[in-house]
Amino acid sequence: MNRILTITLLLILAFFLFSAVKLDYGRLHPELSEYYISHGIADTGALNMVTAIYLNYRVYDTLGEATVFFATALGVFMLLRKDKEGSADG
Amino acid sequence: MDRISPIVKIFTRKLFPFILLYGCYLISHGHLSPGGGFQGGVIFGSAIILLGLVEGVKLTEKRFKEDFLSLTKNIGMLIFILLGFTGMFFGYSFLSDFLPRGKVGTVPSAGLILFLNLTIGFMVGTGIAVIFYRTVKHGSEE
Repeated sequence: MNRILTITLLLILAFFLFSAVKLDYGRLHPELSEYYISHGIADTGALNMVTAIYLNYRVYDTLGEATVFFATALGVFMLLRKDKEGSADG
Repeated sequence: MDRISPIVKIFTRKLFPFILLYGCYLISHGHLSPGGGFQGGVIFGSAIILLGLVEGVKLTEKRFKEDFLSLTKNIGMLIFILLGFTGMFFGYSFLSDFLPRGKVGTVPSAGLILFLNLTIGFMVGTGIAVIFYRTVKHGSEE
């Protein structure tokens, strides 16, 4: 009984995996990338399209990245500090 | 530390300002050519790391103090968020571009992007240098 259940679940999983492989993501929304290419300079004024996207269209994402880096640096700064008070006591 | 050859030491001292200059160029021209705040900031920080590896952290810290670098990192993050809020006083949404733009292809052409790149660049560069300082000092204590 257990074996039949396992095989059925695996077959369902295989069906979903194969149907996901067939998807063509490149042609779903071509108008979005065409909009960035044709309107990017007029919208942002930046010649570099990568910068135009990560600092103008997707600037919230960059705020998150900067916060992650800031948290990492703060974590190292706090974890590896000299424990002056502890060494004076002990 | 005295096993490092004088050739490496002298060339590092000569190359150091040029690496800093290249980092500043990548940061300030991030919206015109390949590069940007993160990449230029990493080069900025790797110049300090190179000086620290060759000359030792104690000598490097006479010029680039750890507290100063940490303060720059914190102020950079603060300015990034404050720049986002500044636009809200002029009727724009959070982090949107509120500055006037120059001619396309020159440095002041992209408005706020230049200043966001500057804050990100200095934050990343000084942050990486602070991480380097902390790990080296922690390793040398024990």
